Amino acid sequence: MEAAGIPTVAISLARDLTEAVGVPRALFVKWPLGRPLGEAGNAAQQRTVMYHALRLLLTADAPGQLEAPGWRWRREHYQEPDWGMVRG
Amino acid sequence: MNKEQSWQQRFWNRFYAIPAVAQWWAKSRAGETAALVEEQHGIPFARLRKPLATARGALITTAGVHLRSEPPFDMANPDGDASYRLIPGAARAEALTITHNYYDHSEADRDLNVVFPLDHFRDLAQRGVIGGVAPRHFGFMGHIDGPLIPALTGESAPDVAARLRADGVDFAFLTPA
Repeated sequence: MEAAGIPTVAISLARDLTEAVGVPRALFVKWPLGRPLGEAGNAAQQRTVMYHALRLLLTADAPGQLEAPGWRWRREHYQEPDWGMVRG
Repeated sequence: MNKEQSWQQRFWNRFYAIPAVAQWWAKSRAGETAALVEEQHGIPFARLRKPLATARGALITTAGVHLRSEPPFDMANPDGDASYRLIPGAARAEALTITHNYYDHSEADRDLNVVFPLDHFRDLAQRGVIGGVAPRHFGFMGHIDGPLIPALTGESAPDVAARLRADGVDFAFLTPA
Protein backbone atom coordinates (compact mmCIF):
# COMPACT_ATOMS: atom_id res chain seq x y z
CA MET A 1 0.00 0.00 0.00
CA GLU A 2 2.78 2.39 0.87
CA ALA A 3 4.50 1.38 -2.35
CA ALA A 4 1.28 2.35 -4.14
CA GLY A 5 1.53 5.77 -2.47
CA ILE A 6 -1.02 5.27 0.30
CA PRO A 7 0.34 5.99 3.78
CA THR A 8 -0.74 3.64 6.55
CA VAL A 9 -0.68 3.58 10.31
CA ALA A 10 -1.12 0.34 12.24
CA ILE A 11 -1.99 -0.52 15.80
CA SER A 12 0.39 -3.17 17.15
CA LEU A 13 -0.38 -5.62 19.93
CA ALA A 14 2.83 -7.60 19.46
CA ARG A 15 5.86 -5.38 19.50
CA ASP A 16 8.57 -7.86 18.47
CA LEU A 17 6.46 -9.29 15.68
CA THR A 18 5.63 -5.84 14.33
CA GLU A 19 9.30 -4.88 14.38
CA ALA A 20 10.33 -8.16 12.71
CA VAL A 21 7.77 -7.82 9.91
CA GLY A 22 8.63 -4.17 9.37
CA VAL A 23 5.75 -1.70 9.15
CA PRO A 24 5.93 1.97 8.16
CA ARG A 25 4.27 3.34 11.35
CA ALA A 26 2.80 1.60 14.34
CA LEU A 27 1.32 2.51 17.70
CA PHE A 28 2.10 -0.26 20.17
CA VAL A 29 -0.27 -1.02 23.03
CA LYS A 30 0.64 -3.76 25.49
CA TRP A 31 -2.89 -4.97 25.94
CA PRO A 32 -4.61 -8.34 25.68
CA LEU A 33 -4.75 -9.60 22.08
CA GLY A 34 -8.02 -8.89 20.34
CA ARG A 35 -8.39 -5.39 21.82
CA PRO A 36 -6.31 -3.04 19.65
CA LEU A 37 -8.49 -0.02 20.49
CA GLY A 38 -9.16 -0.98 24.07
CA GLU A 39 -12.18 -1.95 26.08
CA ALA A 40 -15.72 -2.46 24.78
CA GLY A 41 -17.83 0.62 25.36
CA ASN A 42 -14.87 2.83 26.32
CA ALA A 43 -15.18 5.41 23.53
CA ALA A 44 -12.69 7.83 25.11
CA GLN A 45 -10.05 5.12 25.24
CA GLN A 46 -10.72 3.97 21.67
CA ARG A 47 -10.60 7.53 20.39
CA THR A 48 -7.39 8.28 22.30
CA VAL A 49 -5.76 5.34 20.50
CA MET A 50 -7.04 6.68 17.17
CA TYR A 51 -5.81 10.17 17.99
CA HIS A 52 -2.28 8.94 18.71
CA ALA A 53 -2.26 6.74 15.62
CA LEU A 54 -3.45 9.57 13.36
CA ARG A 55 -0.87 11.91 14.89
CA LEU A 56 1.81 9.33 14.11
CA LEU A 57 0.52 9.19 10.54
CA LEU A 58 1.16 12.93 10.28
CA THR A 59 4.45 13.19 12.16
CA ALA A 60 6.46 10.06 11.31
CA ASP A 61 9.31 11.02 9.02
CA ALA A 62 10.95 7.62 8.51
CA PRO A 63 9.67 4.07 8.07
CA GLY A 64 9.69 1.62 10.95
CA GLN A 65 8.58 4.15 13.54
CA LEU A 66 6.93 2.49 16.53
CA GLU A 67 5.41 4.64 19.24
CA ALA A 68 4.62 3.12 22.63
CA PRO A 69 2.53 5.38 24.89
CA GLY A 70 2.77 2.77 27.65
CA TRP A 71 -0.89 2.76 28.66
CA ARG A 72 -1.71 0.08 31.23
CA TRP A 73 -4.71 -2.16 30.62
CA ARG A 74 -7.74 -0.96 32.60
CA ARG A 75 -5.57 1.29 34.77
CA GLU A 76 -5.78 4.54 32.86
CA HIS A 77 -8.35 7.28 32.69
CA TYR A 78 -9.01 8.57 29.19
CA GLN A 79 -10.55 11.79 28.00
CA GLU A 80 -11.87 12.86 24.63
CA PRO A 81 -8.78 13.93 22.62
CA ASP A 82 -8.27 17.47 21.39
CA TRP A 83 -8.78 16.75 17.69
CA GLY A 84 -7.78 20.26 16.69
CA MET A 85 -4.16 19.15 17.11
CA VAL A 86 -4.31 16.69 14.19
CA ARG A 87 -6.93 18.28 11.95
CA GLY A 88 -4.25 20.33 10.16
CA MET B 1 -21.19 -16.71 16.96
CA ASN B 2 -18.52 -19.10 18.20
CA LYS B 3 -20.34 -22.36 17.93
CA GLU B 4 -17.49 -24.12 16.15
CA GLN B 5 -14.92 -23.05 18.69
CA SER B 6 -13.94 -25.77 21.13
CA TRP B 7 -13.37 -25.07 24.80
CA GLN B 8 -9.67 -25.83 24.27
CA GLN B 9 -9.49 -23.16 21.59
CA ARG B 10 -11.27 -20.67 23.83
CA PHE B 11 -8.91 -21.54 26.68
CA TRP B 12 -5.78 -20.97 24.59
CA ASN B 13 -7.17 -17.78 23.10
CA ARG B 14 -7.77 -16.45 26.62
CA PHE B 15 -4.28 -17.57 27.63
CA TYR B 16 -2.61 -15.77 24.73
CA ALA B 17 -4.69 -12.68 25.47
CA ILE B 18 -2.63 -12.15 28.64
CA PRO B 19 -0.34 -9.27 27.64
CA ALA B 20 2.89 -10.82 28.97
CA VAL B 21 2.11 -14.13 27.27
CA ALA B 22 1.24 -12.34 24.04
CA GLN B 23 4.55 -10.45 24.05
CA TRP B 24 6.48 -13.65 24.77
CA TRP B 25 4.66 -15.30 21.86
CA ALA B 26 5.42 -12.32 19.63
CA LYS B 27 9.08 -12.52 20.52
CA SER B 28 9.32 -16.21 19.71
CA ARG B 29 7.40 -15.78 16.46
CA ALA B 30 9.51 -12.77 15.50
CA GLY B 31 12.59 -15.00 15.45
CA GLU B 32 11.06 -17.26 12.83
CA THR B 33 9.28 -14.61 10.81
CA ALA B 34 11.07 -13.41 7.71
CA ALA B 35 10.69 -9.70 7.15
CA LEU B 36 8.01 -9.14 4.54
CA VAL B 37 10.06 -6.38 2.98
CA GLU B 38 13.09 -6.97 0.81
CA GLU B 39 16.24 -5.94 2.62
CA GLN B 40 17.67 -3.85 -0.17
CA HIS B 41 14.52 -1.80 -0.71
CA GLY B 42 13.61 -1.34 2.93
CA ILE B 43 10.15 -0.62 4.27
CA PRO B 44 8.06 1.27 1.70
CA PHE B 45 7.04 4.67 3.01
CA ALA B 46 4.50 7.15 1.67
CA ARG B 47 3.54 10.49 3.19
CA LEU B 48 0.12 12.02 3.55
CA ARG B 49 0.13 14.73 0.91
CA LYS B 50 -2.75 16.81 2.23
CA PRO B 51 -4.14 17.99 5.56
CA LEU B 52 -5.92 15.24 7.50
CA ALA B 53 -9.09 17.35 7.38
CA THR B 54 -9.25 16.83 3.61
CA ALA B 55 -7.96 13.25 3.52
CA ARG B 56 -10.15 10.22 2.90
CA GLY B 57 -9.43 7.24 5.14
CA ALA B 58 -10.10 3.51 4.85
CA LEU B 59 -10.07 0.85 7.55
CA ILE B 60 -8.24 -2.41 7.09
CA THR B 61 -8.54 -5.04 9.78
CA THR B 62 -7.17 -8.54 10.25
CA ALA B 63 -9.67 -9.26 13.01
CA GLY B 64 -11.94 -11.39 10.80
CA VAL B 65 -14.69 -8.78 10.36
CA HIS B 66 -17.14 -9.27 7.48
CA LEU B 67 -20.76 -8.74 6.48
CA ARG B 68 -23.05 -11.44 7.87
CA SER B 69 -24.40 -11.86 4.35
CA GLU B 70 -20.96 -12.80 3.00
CA PRO B 71 -19.21 -16.18 3.24
CA PRO B 72 -17.24 -16.51 6.50
CA PHE B 73 -13.48 -16.99 6.52
CA ASP B 74 -12.16 -20.55 6.23
CA MET B 75 -11.70 -21.97 9.72
CA ALA B 76 -10.97 -25.52 8.48
CA ASN B 77 -7.65 -24.85 6.77
CA PRO B 78 -4.87 -24.81 9.41
CA ASP B 79 -2.91 -22.33 7.22
CA GLY B 80 -5.82 -19.90 7.49
CA ASP B 81 -7.51 -17.87 4.78
CA ALA B 82 -5.73 -15.23 2.69
CA SER B 83 -8.89 -13.84 1.09
CA TYR B 84 -10.57 -10.63 2.19
CA ARG B 85 -14.08 -9.21 2.39
CA LEU B 86 -15.32 -5.81 1.29
CA ILE B 87 -17.13 -3.86 3.99
CA PRO B 88 -19.31 -1.00 2.71
CA GLY B 89 -18.64 2.37 4.34
CA ALA B 90 -22.33 2.62 5.21
CA ALA B 91 -22.49 -0.82 6.88
CA ARG B 92 -24.27 -0.90 10.23
CA ALA B 93 -22.58 -2.70 13.12
CA GLU B 94 -25.54 -5.12 13.29
CA ALA B 95 -24.81 -6.25 9.73
CA LEU B 96 -21.24 -7.23 10.61
CA THR B 97 -19.79 -10.23 12.39
CA ILE B 98 -16.41 -11.77 13.23
CA THR B 99 -15.19 -15.15 11.97
CA HIS B 100 -11.80 -15.82 13.52
CA ASN B 101 -11.22 -18.71 15.92
CA TYR B 102 -7.61 -17.83 16.68
CA TYR B 103 -8.08 -14.98 19.12
CA ASP B 104 -10.43 -14.04 21.93
CA HIS B 105 -12.93 -11.63 20.35
CA SER B 106 -15.39 -11.56 23.23
CA GLU B 107 -14.70 -7.85 23.79
CA ALA B 108 -15.02 -7.06 20.06
CA ASP B 109 -18.29 -9.03 19.87
CA ARG B 110 -19.75 -6.61 22.41
CA ASP B 111 -18.38 -3.51 20.67
CA LEU B 112 -17.01 -3.82 17.15
CA ASN B 113 -15.14 -0.52 17.54
CA VAL B 114 -12.61 -2.45 19.62
CA VAL B 115 -11.21 -3.92 16.38
CA PHE B 116 -13.02 -2.01 13.62
CA PRO B 117 -13.62 1.65 14.60
CA LEU B 118 -16.02 2.56 11.81
CA ASP B 119 -18.35 4.47 14.15
CA HIS B 120 -15.47 6.69 15.30
CA PHE B 121 -14.27 7.11 11.72
CA ARG B 122 -17.71 8.38 10.65
CA ASP B 123 -17.84 10.71 13.62
CA LEU B 124 -14.36 12.10 12.87
CA ALA B 125 -15.43 12.75 9.27
CA GLN B 126 -18.55 14.54 10.48
CA ARG B 127 -16.46 16.72 12.80
CA GLY B 128 -14.07 17.56 9.99
CA VAL B 129 -11.07 15.88 11.65
CA ILE B 130 -10.64 13.61 8.64
CA GLY B 131 -11.83 14.55 5.17
CA GLY B 132 -14.05 11.55 4.66
CA VAL B 133 -14.69 7.85 5.07
CA ALA B 134 -13.85 5.54 2.17
CA PRO B 135 -16.80 3.94 0.34
CA ARG B 136 -15.49 0.50 1.30
CA HIS B 137 -13.21 -1.06 3.90
CA PHE B 138 -11.37 -4.36 4.02
CA GLY B 139 -11.67 -7.30 6.35
CA PHE B 140 -8.95 -9.94 6.56
CA MET B 141 -8.56 -12.91 8.85
CA GLY B 142 -5.16 -12.50 10.45
CA HIS B 143 -4.27 -16.16 10.87
CA ILE B 144 -2.33 -16.79 7.65
CA ASP B 145 0.59 -19.17 7.37
CA GLY B 146 2.64 -21.35 5.03
CA PRO B 147 1.62 -21.43 1.37
CA LEU B 148 -1.06 -18.79 1.93
CA ILE B 149 1.46 -16.05 2.75
CA PRO B 150 2.37 -15.57 -0.94
CA ALA B 151 -1.36 -15.42 -1.74
CA LEU B 152 -1.69 -12.63 0.81
CA THR B 153 1.31 -10.56 -0.23
CA GLY B 154 1.16 -11.35 -3.95
CA GLU B 155 -2.59 -11.22 -4.58
CA SER B 156 -4.84 -9.93 -1.80
CA ALA B 157 -2.66 -7.03 -0.67
CA PRO B 158 -1.93 -5.56 -4.14
CA ASP B 159 -5.61 -6.05 -4.97
CA VAL B 160 -6.64 -3.99 -1.95
CA ALA B 161 -4.04 -1.32 -2.76
CA ALA B 162 -5.52 -0.99 -6.27
CA ARG B 163 -9.04 -0.69 -4.86
CA LEU B 164 -7.92 1.94 -2.36
CA ARG B 165 -6.45 3.99 -5.20
CA ALA B 166 -9.60 3.56 -7.27
CA ASP B 167 -11.65 4.82 -4.31
CA GLY B 168 -9.48 7.92 -3.92
CA VAL B 169 -8.29 6.85 -0.48
CA ASP B 170 -5.54 9.02 1.02
CA PHE B 171 -4.60 6.92 4.03
CA ALA B 172 -5.33 3.55 5.61
CA PHE B 173 -5.85 2.76 9.29
CA LEU B 174 -4.79 -0.80 10.15
CA THR B 175 -6.08 -2.79 13.09
CA PRO B 176 -4.85 -6.29 13.96
CA ALA B 177 -6.31 -8.54 16.60
